[in-house]
Amino acid sequence: MSQSEAGVVLAADRHHAHHFNTANEEFDACKQGMWIFLVTEVLFFSGLFVAYAVLRVFNPEMMHEAHHLLNWKMGALNTVILITSSLTMALAVSSTQRGNIDKAVKLLWVTLICAGGFLIVKYFEYAHKFHEGILPGAQWHYEELKIAKAPLFFSVYFVMTGIHGLHVIIGMAIIYWLIRRAKRGEFGPAYFTPVEITGLYWHFVDLVWIFLFPLLYLVS
Amino acid sequence: MSNNNHENETHAHHILSDSMAYKIFGILICLTVITVGVAQIDLGAWNFAVAMLVASVKASLVCLFFMGLKYDYKENSIIFSTSLIFMTVFMVLTFSDLLTRGDVYVKGPIVPESASGPAKSKFKKAWIATPELVAHGKEQFQAQCVACHGAEGQGNGPAAAGLNPKPRNFTSADNWKNGRKPSQIFGTLTKGLNAMPSFASLPSDDRWSLVAFIRTLGPHEGEKDSDADLKKVGIDPASEDGGGGGEKSIPVGVAIDQMSEEK
Ligand code: HEC
Repeated sequence: MSQSEAGVVLAADRHHAHHFNTANEEFDACKQGMWIFLVTEVLFFSGLFVAYAVLRVFNPEMMHEAHHLLNWKMGALNTVILITSSLTMALAVSSTQRGNIDKAVKLLWVTLICAGGFLIVKYFEYAHKFHEGILPGAQWHYEELKIAKAPLFFSVYFVMTGIHGLHVIIGMAIIYWLIRRAKRGEFGPAYFTPVEITGLYWHFVDLVWIFLFPLLYLVS
Repeated sequence: MSNNNHENETHAHHILSDSMAYKIFGILICLTVITVGVAQIDLGAWNFAVAMLVASVKASLVCLFFMGLKYDYKENSIIFSTSLIFMTVFMVLTFSDLLTRGDVYVKGPIVPESASGPAKSKFKKAWIATPELVAHGKEQFQAQCVACHGAEGQGNGPAAAGLNPKPRNFTSADNWKNGRKPSQIFGTLTKGLNAMPSFASLPSDDRWSLVAFIRTLGPHEGEKDSDADLKKVGIDPASEDGGGGGEKSIPVGVAIDQMSEEK
Protein backbone atom coordinates (compact mmCIF):
# COMPACT_ATOMS: atom_id res chain seq x y z
CA MET A 1 0.00 0.00 0.00
CA SER A 2 1.35 3.35 -0.88
CA GLN A 3 -0.01 6.61 0.34
CA SER A 4 0.52 10.18 -0.65
CA GLU A 5 -1.47 13.38 -0.68
CA ALA A 6 -2.40 12.57 -4.28
CA GLY A 7 -4.10 9.34 -3.42
CA VAL A 8 -3.82 5.86 -2.08
CA VAL A 9 -3.49 2.60 -3.90
CA LEU A 10 -4.58 -0.56 -2.18
CA ALA A 11 -1.86 -3.22 -1.91
CA ALA A 12 -2.19 -6.25 -4.12
CA ASP A 13 -1.95 -8.56 -1.11
CA ARG A 14 -4.62 -6.79 0.91
CA HIS A 15 -7.35 -9.26 1.84
CA HIS A 16 -10.34 -9.17 -0.45
CA ALA A 17 -13.28 -11.41 -1.30
CA HIS A 18 -12.23 -14.30 -3.48
CA HIS A 19 -14.34 -13.28 -6.46
CA PHE A 20 -12.26 -10.17 -6.94
CA ASN A 21 -8.78 -10.16 -8.41
CA THR A 22 -7.48 -7.36 -6.25
CA ALA A 23 -8.54 -5.27 -3.29
CA ASN A 24 -8.67 -2.30 -5.61
CA GLU A 25 -11.11 -4.05 -7.83
CA GLU A 26 -13.23 -4.91 -4.82
CA PHE A 27 -13.26 -1.29 -3.76
CA ASP A 28 -14.25 -0.12 -7.24
CA ALA A 29 -17.04 -2.66 -7.41
CA CYS A 30 -18.41 -1.65 -4.00
CA LYS A 31 -18.34 1.97 -4.94
CA GLN A 32 -19.99 1.34 -8.27
CA GLY A 33 -22.64 -0.67 -6.46
CA MET A 34 -23.33 2.33 -4.28
CA TRP A 35 -23.68 4.57 -7.32
CA ILE A 36 -26.17 2.13 -8.82
CA PHE A 37 -28.08 2.15 -5.55
CA LEU A 38 -28.12 5.94 -5.67
CA VAL A 39 -29.61 5.74 -9.15
CA THR A 40 -32.51 3.75 -7.72
CA GLU A 41 -32.79 6.38 -5.00
CA VAL A 42 -33.07 9.17 -7.55
CA LEU A 43 -35.77 7.23 -9.37
CA PHE A 44 -37.53 6.63 -6.06
CA PHE A 45 -37.58 10.33 -5.24
CA SER A 46 -38.40 11.27 -8.84
CA GLY A 47 -41.95 9.97 -8.38
CA LEU A 48 -42.40 12.50 -5.62
CA PHE A 49 -40.79 15.29 -7.61
CA VAL A 50 -43.12 14.59 -10.54
CA ALA A 51 -46.11 14.62 -8.18
CA TYR A 52 -44.88 17.93 -6.84
CA ALA A 53 -44.45 19.33 -10.34
CA VAL A 54 -47.94 18.29 -11.41
CA LEU A 55 -49.47 19.86 -8.33
CA ARG A 56 -47.52 23.02 -8.87
CA VAL A 57 -48.25 23.41 -12.58
CA PHE A 58 -51.98 23.04 -12.04
CA ASN A 59 -52.30 24.90 -8.73
CA PRO A 60 -49.72 27.69 -8.68
CA GLU A 61 -51.81 30.00 -6.46
CA MET A 62 -52.58 27.24 -3.99
CA MET A 63 -48.90 26.30 -3.74
CA HIS A 64 -48.02 29.89 -3.17
CA GLU A 65 -50.56 30.37 -0.40
CA ALA A 66 -49.88 27.03 1.25
CA HIS A 67 -46.11 27.33 1.39
CA HIS A 68 -46.40 30.43 3.57
CA LEU A 69 -47.36 28.08 6.36
CA LEU A 70 -43.82 26.68 6.29
CA ASN A 71 -41.10 28.51 8.14
CA TRP A 72 -38.30 29.13 5.64
CA LYS A 73 -35.90 30.07 8.43
CA MET A 74 -36.16 26.55 9.80
CA GLY A 75 -35.63 25.18 6.31
CA ALA A 76 -32.59 27.38 5.76
CA LEU A 77 -31.16 26.38 9.13
CA ASN A 78 -31.52 22.74 8.19
CA THR A 79 -29.88 23.38 4.83
CA VAL A 80 -26.84 24.81 6.58
CA ILE A 81 -26.80 21.92 9.05
CA LEU A 82 -26.87 19.34 6.27
CA ILE A 83 -24.21 21.07 4.21
CA THR A 84 -22.01 21.19 7.30
CA SER A 85 -22.57 17.49 7.87
CA SER A 86 -21.60 16.85 4.25
CA LEU A 87 -18.36 18.75 4.84
CA THR A 88 -17.52 16.78 7.98
CA MET A 89 -18.39 13.54 6.19
CA ALA A 90 -16.07 14.42 3.30
CA LEU A 91 -13.32 15.29 5.79
CA ALA A 92 -13.94 12.05 7.68
CA VAL A 93 -13.42 10.09 4.47
CA SER A 94 -10.20 11.87 3.60
CA SER A 95 -8.91 11.53 7.18
CA THR A 96 -9.54 7.79 7.05
CA GLN A 97 -7.73 7.59 3.73
CA ARG A 98 -4.77 9.37 5.30
CA GLY A 99 -4.83 7.05 8.29
CA ASN A 100 -5.84 9.71 10.79
CA ILE A 101 -8.51 7.60 12.45
CA ASP A 102 -8.88 9.68 15.63
CA LYS A 103 -9.74 12.70 13.56
CA ALA A 104 -12.05 10.63 11.36
CA VAL A 105 -13.96 9.38 14.41
CA LYS A 106 -14.37 12.93 15.70
CA LEU A 107 -15.61 14.10 12.32
CA LEU A 108 -18.06 11.23 12.12
CA TRP A 109 -19.40 12.24 15.52
CA VAL A 110 -19.88 15.80 14.29
CA THR A 111 -21.70 14.42 11.25
CA LEU A 112 -23.92 12.36 13.51
CA ILE A 113 -24.67 15.35 15.73
CA CYS A 114 -25.55 17.48 12.71
CA ALA A 115 -27.92 14.76 11.53
CA GLY A 116 -29.49 14.74 14.99
CA GLY A 117 -29.78 18.53 14.89
CA PHE A 118 -31.49 18.31 11.52
CA LEU A 119 -34.07 15.92 12.97
CA ILE A 120 -34.64 18.10 16.02
CA VAL A 121 -35.40 21.10 13.81
CA LYS A 122 -37.72 18.92 11.73
CA TYR A 123 -39.37 17.70 14.90
CA PHE A 124 -40.19 21.26 15.92
CA GLU A 125 -41.56 22.02 12.47
CA TYR A 126 -43.73 18.89 12.40
CA ALA A 127 -44.96 19.38 15.97
CA HIS A 128 -46.01 22.93 15.16
CA LYS A 129 -47.89 21.80 12.02
CA PHE A 130 -49.61 18.92 13.81
CA HIS A 131 -50.64 21.24 16.57
CA GLU A 132 -52.23 23.72 14.15
CA GLY A 133 -54.06 20.96 12.31
CA ILE A 134 -51.92 21.30 9.20
CA LEU A 135 -51.98 17.61 8.41
CA PRO A 136 -51.77 15.76 5.14
CA GLY A 137 -54.87 15.15 3.03
CA ALA A 138 -58.05 14.21 4.85
CA GLN A 139 -56.58 14.78 8.32
CA TRP A 140 -56.32 18.49 7.56
CA HIS A 141 -58.27 20.69 9.96
CA TYR A 142 -56.57 24.04 9.68
CA GLU A 143 -59.17 26.77 9.37
CA GLU A 144 -57.14 29.83 8.43
CA LEU A 145 -56.32 28.87 4.87
CA LYS A 146 -59.47 28.64 2.77
CA ILE A 147 -58.14 27.61 -0.59
CA ALA A 148 -59.01 24.44 -2.43
CA LYS A 149 -56.42 21.64 -2.44
CA ALA A 150 -54.12 23.21 0.15
CA PRO A 151 -54.07 19.91 2.03
CA LEU A 152 -52.49 18.37 -1.06
CA PHE A 153 -49.46 20.63 -0.74
CA PHE A 154 -48.99 19.26 2.72
CA SER A 155 -49.46 15.68 1.59
CA VAL A 156 -46.52 16.25 -0.72
CA TYR A 157 -44.61 18.15 1.96
CA PHE A 158 -45.00 15.46 4.59
CA VAL A 159 -44.28 12.55 2.28
CA MET A 160 -41.20 14.17 0.76
CA THR A 161 -39.68 15.46 3.98
CA GLY A 162 -40.79 12.33 5.82
CA ILE A 163 -39.03 10.00 3.43
CA HIS A 164 -36.02 12.28 3.40
CA GLY A 165 -36.05 12.25 7.21
CA LEU A 166 -36.16 8.47 7.13
CA HIS A 167 -33.00 8.56 5.03
CA VAL A 168 -31.39 10.79 7.64
CA ILE A 169 -32.29 8.33 10.40
CA ILE A 170 -30.92 5.38 8.42
CA GLY A 171 -27.79 7.42 7.68
CA MET A 172 -27.34 8.10 11.39
CA ALA A 173 -27.49 4.39 12.17
CA ILE A 174 -24.88 3.64 9.52
CA ILE A 175 -22.61 6.46 10.66
CA TYR A 176 -22.81 5.17 14.22
CA TRP A 177 -21.84 1.73 12.94
CA LEU A 178 -18.87 3.31 11.15
CA ILE A 179 -17.76 4.99 14.37
CA ARG A 180 -17.85 1.67 16.20
CA ARG A 181 -15.81 -0.05 13.52
CA ALA A 182 -13.38 2.83 13.18
CA LYS A 183 -12.74 2.72 16.93
CA ARG A 184 -11.97 -0.98 16.63
CA GLY A 185 -9.26 -0.01 14.19
CA GLU A 186 -10.89 -1.64 11.20
CA PHE A 187 -10.36 1.27 8.83
CA GLY A 188 -7.25 2.90 7.49
CA PRO A 189 -5.50 3.81 4.26
CA ALA A 190 -5.64 0.17 3.22
CA TYR A 191 -9.36 -0.27 3.80
CA PHE A 192 -11.89 2.53 3.89
CA THR A 193 -14.64 1.22 1.60
CA PRO A 194 -17.52 1.46 4.12
CA VAL A 195 -16.57 5.01 5.08
CA GLU A 196 -16.32 6.09 1.46
CA ILE A 197 -19.62 4.61 0.32
CA THR A 198 -21.49 5.77 3.40
CA GLY A 199 -20.13 9.17 2.48
CA LEU A 200 -21.74 8.83 -0.96
CA TYR A 201 -25.04 7.94 0.67
CA TRP A 202 -24.82 10.84 3.08
CA HIS A 203 -24.01 13.36 0.37
CA PHE A 204 -26.99 12.06 -1.56
CA VAL A 205 -29.23 12.81 1.42
CA ASP A 206 -27.83 16.34 1.34
CA LEU A 207 -28.43 16.48 -2.42
CA VAL A 208 -32.13 15.72 -2.05
CA TRP A 209 -32.50 18.41 0.59
CA ILE A 210 -30.76 20.93 -1.64
CA PHE A 211 -33.77 20.59 -3.96
CA LEU A 212 -36.46 20.11 -1.33
CA PHE A 213 -35.58 23.33 0.43
CA PRO A 214 -36.28 25.78 -2.40
CA LEU A 215 -39.14 23.70 -3.81
CA LEU A 216 -41.09 23.48 -0.57
CA TYR A 217 -40.04 26.48 1.49
CA LEU A 218 -39.35 29.13 -1.15
CA VAL A 219 -42.14 28.65 -3.71
CA SER A 220 -42.96 31.90 -5.39
CA MET B 1 -16.61 -3.69 -16.88
CA SER B 2 -14.29 -2.60 -14.11
CA ASN B 3 -11.91 -5.54 -14.36
CA ASN B 4 -10.50 -5.04 -17.85
CA ASN B 5 -9.90 -1.36 -17.33
CA HIS B 6 -8.32 -1.37 -13.98
CA GLU B 7 -6.79 -4.77 -13.40
CA ASN B 8 -3.24 -3.88 -14.11
CA GLU B 9 -3.37 -0.18 -13.78
CA THR B 10 -2.59 1.26 -10.37
CA HIS B 11 -5.39 3.76 -10.03
CA ALA B 12 -4.81 6.02 -7.08
CA HIS B 13 -7.91 6.83 -5.06
CA HIS B 14 -8.07 10.54 -4.96
CA ILE B 15 -8.00 12.13 -1.53
CA LEU B 16 -9.94 15.35 -1.28
CA SER B 17 -7.70 17.97 0.28
CA ASP B 18 -9.04 19.74 3.35
CA SER B 19 -8.63 23.16 1.77
CA MET B 20 -10.69 22.05 -1.24
CA ALA B 21 -13.39 20.63 1.06
CA TYR B 22 -13.62 23.92 2.97
CA LYS B 23 -13.70 25.88 -0.26
CA ILE B 24 -16.63 23.84 -1.57
CA PHE B 25 -18.37 24.18 1.78
CA GLY B 26 -17.96 27.96 1.63
CA ILE B 27 -19.40 28.12 -1.87
CA LEU B 28 -22.36 25.92 -0.86
CA ILE B 29 -23.16 28.20 2.07
CA CYS B 30 -22.90 31.30 -0.12
CA LEU B 31 -25.23 29.73 -2.66
CA THR B 32 -27.72 28.93 0.10
CA VAL B 33 -27.65 32.56 1.17
CA ILE B 34 -28.20 33.58 -2.45
CA THR B 35 -31.19 31.22 -2.81
CA VAL B 36 -32.81 32.60 0.31
CA GLY B 37 -31.99 36.20 -0.67
CA VAL B 38 -33.39 35.88 -4.18
CA ALA B 39 -36.58 34.32 -2.80
CA GLN B 40 -37.26 37.54 -0.86
CA ILE B 41 -37.30 39.59 -4.07
CA ASP B 42 -40.18 39.16 -6.49
CA LEU B 43 -38.80 38.29 -9.92
CA GLY B 44 -41.95 36.59 -11.17
CA ALA B 45 -41.23 33.38 -13.02
CA TRP B 46 -37.49 34.01 -12.69
CA ASN B 47 -37.58 33.23 -8.97
CA PHE B 48 -38.19 29.60 -9.74
CA ALA B 49 -35.60 29.49 -12.50
CA VAL B 50 -32.94 31.07 -10.30
CA ALA B 51 -33.77 28.79 -7.36
CA MET B 52 -33.48 25.69 -9.53
CA LEU B 53 -30.33 26.90 -11.22
CA VAL B 54 -28.64 27.58 -7.89
CA ALA B 55 -29.81 24.23 -6.52
CA SER B 56 -28.36 22.49 -9.58
CA VAL B 57 -25.04 24.23 -9.15
CA LYS B 58 -24.98 23.20 -5.50
CA ALA B 59 -25.89 19.63 -6.39
CA SER B 60 -23.14 19.51 -9.04
CA LEU B 61 -20.55 20.74 -6.55
CA VAL B 62 -21.59 18.09 -4.05
CA CYS B 63 -21.44 15.39 -6.76
CA LEU B 64 -18.14 16.47 -8.27
CA PHE B 65 -16.15 17.14 -5.11
CA PHE B 66 -17.75 15.68 -2.00
CA MET B 67 -18.84 12.57 -3.86
CA GLY B 68 -15.67 12.64 -5.91
CA LEU B 69 -17.15 12.14 -9.37
CA LYS B 70 -14.58 14.55 -10.74
CA TYR B 71 -11.77 12.18 -9.80
CA ASP B 72 -13.66 8.94 -10.21
CA TYR B 73 -13.98 6.64 -13.21
CA LYS B 74 -16.22 8.14 -15.87
CA GLU B 75 -18.43 5.05 -15.59
CA ASN B 76 -19.78 6.21 -12.26
CA SER B 77 -20.69 9.61 -13.67
CA ILE B 78 -22.42 7.94 -16.58
CA ILE B 79 -24.30 5.59 -14.28
CA PHE B 80 -25.49 8.44 -12.11
CA SER B 81 -26.47 10.56 -15.12
CA THR B 82 -28.76 7.82 -16.40
CA SER B 83 -30.95 8.37 -13.36
CA LEU B 84 -31.30 12.03 -14.27
CA ILE B 85 -32.08 11.13 -17.86
CA PHE B 86 -34.84 8.77 -16.76
CA MET B 87 -36.19 11.34 -14.35
CA THR B 88 -36.41 13.77 -17.26
CA VAL B 89 -38.22 11.16 -19.35
CA PHE B 90 -40.64 10.65 -16.45
CA MET B 91 -41.34 14.39 -16.23
CA VAL B 92 -41.64 14.92 -19.98
CA LEU B 93 -43.98 11.99 -20.58
CA THR B 94 -46.17 12.89 -17.61
CA PHE B 95 -46.57 16.46 -18.72
CA SER B 96 -46.90 15.70 -22.42
CA ASP B 97 -49.95 13.71 -21.35
CA LEU B 98 -51.39 16.06 -18.73
CA LEU B 99 -50.92 19.25 -20.71
CA THR B 100 -52.51 17.88 -23.87
CA ARG B 101 -55.64 16.38 -22.31
CA GLY B 102 -57.76 19.44 -22.82
CA ASP B 103 -59.50 20.50 -19.66
CA VAL B 104 -60.17 17.07 -18.23
CA TYR B 105 -57.93 17.72 -15.29
CA VAL B 106 -59.29 21.17 -14.63
CA LYS B 107 -62.88 19.97 -14.61
CA GLY B 108 -62.59 18.40 -11.21
CA PRO B 109 -64.99 15.46 -11.04
CA ILE B 110 -65.34 13.93 -14.46
CA VAL B 111 -68.94 14.07 -15.54
CA PRO B 112 -70.66 12.86 -18.67
CA GLU B 113 -71.40 15.57 -21.22
CA SER B 114 -75.17 15.24 -20.72
CA ALA B 115 -74.96 15.76 -16.98
CA SER B 116 -73.21 19.08 -17.19
CA GLY B 117 -75.39 20.08 -20.11
CA PRO B 118 -74.52 22.45 -22.90
CA ALA B 119 -72.52 25.44 -21.85
CA LYS B 120 -75.00 27.80 -23.48
CA SER B 121 -77.35 29.49 -21.04
CA LYS B 122 -80.69 27.78 -20.59
CA PHE B 123 -81.89 29.98 -17.80
CA LYS B 124 -82.58 33.64 -17.67
CA LYS B 125 -81.35 35.24 -14.49
CA ALA B 126 -80.03 31.94 -13.19
CA TRP B 127 -79.35 33.49 -9.79
CA ILE B 128 -83.07 33.65 -9.14
CA ALA B 129 -84.48 30.28 -8.11
CA THR B 130 -87.29 28.86 -10.24
CA PRO B 131 -88.78 25.37 -10.11
CA GLU B 132 -87.00 24.49 -13.40
CA LEU B 133 -83.73 25.71 -12.00
CA VAL B 134 -84.17 23.67 -8.82
CA ALA B 135 -85.01 20.58 -10.88
CA HIS B 136 -81.87 21.06 -12.96
CA GLY B 137 -79.90 21.62 -9.77
CA LYS B 138 -81.18 18.36 -8.35
CA GLU B 139 -79.84 16.49 -11.39
CA GLN B 140 -76.51 18.23 -11.03
CA PHE B 141 -76.44 17.43 -7.35
CA GLN B 142 -76.98 13.71 -8.00
CA ALA B 143 -74.12 13.72 -10.48
CA GLN B 144 -71.58 15.87 -8.66
CA CYS B 145 -72.17 16.12 -4.95
CA VAL B 146 -73.83 13.04 -3.45
CA ALA B 147 -70.54 11.16 -3.08
CA CYS B 148 -69.58 13.56 -0.32
CA HIS B 149 -72.72 15.36 0.74
CA GLY B 150 -74.99 12.33 0.63
CA ALA B 151 -78.22 11.68 -1.28
CA GLU B 152 -80.20 13.76 1.22
CA GLY B 153 -77.54 16.43 1.46
CA GLN B 154 -76.83 15.61 5.08
CA GLY B 155 -73.09 15.54 4.61
CA ASN B 156 -72.89 11.78 5.00
CA GLY B 157 -72.09 10.47 1.51
CA PRO B 158 -69.86 7.42 1.08
CA ALA B 159 -66.77 9.56 0.47
CA ALA B 160 -67.40 11.67 3.59
CA ALA B 161 -65.88 9.09 5.92
CA GLY B 162 -62.31 10.10 5.13
CA LEU B 163 -62.91 13.83 5.17
CA ASN B 164 -62.16 16.30 7.92
CA PRO B 165 -63.84 18.77 8.20
CA LYS B 166 -66.92 16.80 7.18
CA PRO B 167 -68.93 17.86 4.13
CA ARG B 168 -71.60 20.38 5.11
CA ASN B 169 -75.03 19.15 6.16
CA PHE B 170 -77.41 21.19 3.98
CA THR B 171 -80.47 20.37 6.08
CA SER B 172 -79.13 22.41 8.97
CA ALA B 173 -78.15 26.04 9.33
CA ASP B 174 -75.17 25.18 11.55
CA ASN B 175 -71.45 25.23 10.80
CA TRP B 176 -71.54 27.07 7.48
CA LYS B 177 -68.27 28.83 6.88
CA ASN B 178 -68.71 31.03 3.85
CA GLY B 179 -72.26 32.10 4.57
CA ARG B 180 -75.56 30.89 3.15
CA LYS B 181 -76.71 33.60 0.79
CA PRO B 182 -76.98 32.35 -2.80
CA SER B 183 -73.99 34.42 -3.87
CA GLN B 184 -71.92 33.06 -1.00
CA ILE B 185 -72.74 29.46 -1.82
CA PHE B 186 -72.00 30.26 -5.45
CA GLY B 187 -68.65 31.57 -4.27
CA THR B 188 -67.95 28.33 -2.39
CA LEU B 189 -68.72 26.30 -5.51
CA THR B 190 -66.44 28.48 -7.59
CA LYS B 191 -63.54 28.55 -5.17
CA GLY B 192 -63.83 25.26 -3.32
CA LEU B 193 -63.18 25.04 0.41
CA ASN B 194 -60.52 22.80 1.94
CA ALA B 195 -61.35 19.22 0.92
CA MET B 196 -64.29 20.44 -1.11
CA PRO B 197 -63.11 20.84 -4.72
CA SER B 198 -63.78 23.89 -6.82
CA PHE B 199 -66.55 23.53 -9.38
CA ALA B 200 -65.51 26.60 -11.33
CA SER B 201 -65.37 24.47 -14.44
CA LEU B 202 -69.12 23.87 -14.37
CA PRO B 203 -71.02 26.46 -16.39
CA SER B 204 -72.20 29.12 -14.00
CA ASP B 205 -75.82 28.19 -14.80
CA ASP B 206 -75.20 24.80 -13.34
CA ARG B 207 -73.58 26.30 -10.29
CA TRP B 208 -76.56 28.61 -9.74
CA SER B 209 -78.93 25.68 -10.17
CA LEU B 210 -76.98 23.77 -7.49
CA VAL B 211 -77.26 26.77 -5.21
CA ALA B 212 -81.01 26.89 -5.79
CA PHE B 213 -81.39 23.17 -5.12
CA ILE B 214 -79.24 23.15 -1.97
CA ARG B 215 -81.25 25.99 -0.57
CA THR B 216 -84.43 23.88 -0.83
CA LEU B 217 -82.87 21.32 1.52
CA GLY B 218 -82.57 23.50 4.58
CA PRO B 219 -83.86 26.66 6.24
CA HIS B 220 -82.73 29.77 4.37
CA GLU B 221 -85.13 32.50 5.45
CA GLY B 222 -83.61 35.95 5.39
CA GLU B 223 -80.49 34.81 3.55
CA LYS B 224 -81.05 37.10 0.57
CA ASP B 225 -78.58 38.66 -1.82
CA SER B 226 -78.35 42.41 -2.26
CA ASP B 227 -77.39 43.75 -5.69
CA ALA B 228 -73.92 44.36 -4.30
CA ASP B 229 -73.62 40.71 -3.25
CA LEU B 230 -74.46 39.65 -6.78
CA LYS B 231 -72.01 42.08 -8.32
CA LYS B 232 -69.30 40.54 -6.14
CA VAL B 233 -69.69 37.23 -7.92
CA GLY B 234 -69.78 38.85 -11.32
CA ILE B 235 -73.52 39.10 -11.84
CA ASP B 236 -75.16 42.19 -13.24
CA PRO B 237 -78.61 42.06 -11.59
CA ALA B 238 -80.05 44.30 -14.30
CA SER B 239 -79.09 42.14 -17.23
CA GLU B 240 -81.53 39.70 -18.78
CA ASP B 241 -79.61 36.47 -18.93
CA GLY B 242 -77.05 37.32 -16.33
CA GLY B 243 -73.51 38.64 -16.30
CA GLY B 244 -72.23 35.19 -15.49
CA GLY B 245 -75.24 33.40 -16.90
CA GLY B 246 -74.04 32.36 -20.30
CA GLU B 247 -70.31 32.11 -19.95
CA LYS B 248 -68.47 28.97 -20.91
CA SER B 249 -66.61 26.85 -18.41
CA ILE B 250 -63.46 28.52 -17.17
CA PRO B 251 -60.38 26.80 -15.82
CA VAL B 252 -59.96 26.65 -12.07
CA GLY B 253 -56.82 28.76 -12.21
CA VAL B 254 -58.68 31.61 -13.89
CA ALA B 255 -61.51 31.36 -11.38
CA ILE B 256 -59.13 31.50 -8.46
CA ASP B 257 -57.41 34.50 -10.01
CA GLN B 258 -60.74 36.25 -10.27
CA MET B 259 -61.61 35.43 -6.70
CA SER B 260 -58.31 36.66 -5.34
CA GLU B 261 -58.57 39.91 -7.28
CA GLU B 262 -61.90 40.54 -5.60
CA LYS B 263 -60.39 40.14 -2.14
C1 HEC C 1 -64.89 15.60 -2.39
C2 HEC C 1 -66.07 15.72 -1.60
C3 HEC C 1 -67.03 16.82 -1.92
C4 HEC C 1 -67.77 17.00 -3.07
C5 HEC C 1 -67.75 16.14 -4.33
C6 HEC C 1 -68.58 18.14 -2.83
N1 HEC C 1 -68.34 18.68 -1.61
FE1 HEC C 1 -69.20 20.31 -0.80
N2 HEC C 1 -68.07 20.12 0.85
C7 HEC C 1 -67.17 19.11 1.07
C8 HEC C 1 -66.53 19.33 2.34
C9 HEC C 1 -65.46 18.45 2.96
C10 HEC C 1 -67.07 20.51 2.86
C11 HEC C 1 -66.71 21.19 4.17
C12 HEC C 1 -65.48 22.01 4.00
C13 HEC C 1 -65.06 22.73 5.24
O1 HEC C 1 -65.90 22.85 6.16
O2 HEC C 1 -63.96 23.19 5.30
C14 HEC C 1 -68.04 20.98 1.91
C15 HEC C 1 -68.80 22.11 2.08
C16 HEC C 1 -69.74 22.55 1.19
C17 HEC C 1 -70.55 23.72 1.34
C18 HEC C 1 -70.57 24.63 2.55
C19 HEC C 1 -69.57 25.75 2.50
C20 HEC C 1 -69.66 26.57 3.75
O3 HEC C 1 -69.84 27.78 3.62
O4 HEC C 1 -69.55 26.03 4.84
C21 HEC C 1 -71.35 23.81 0.25
C22 HEC C 1 -72.37 24.88 -0.04
C23 HEC C 1 -71.05 22.70 -0.59
N3 HEC C 1 -70.05 21.97 -0.01
C24 HEC C 1 -71.66 22.44 -1.79
C25 HEC C 1 -71.33 21.41 -2.62
C26 HEC C 1 -71.95 21.16 -3.89
C27 HEC C 1 -73.10 21.97 -4.47
C28 HEC C 1 -71.33 20.11 -4.45
C29 HEC C 1 -71.60 19.47 -5.81
C30 HEC C 1 -71.42 20.36 -6.93
C31 HEC C 1 -70.32 19.67 -3.53
N4 HEC C 1 -70.34 20.48 -2.44
C32 HEC C 1 -69.48 18.61 -3.76
C33 HEC C 1 -66.88 18.05 0.25
C34 HEC C 1 -67.41 17.89 -1.01
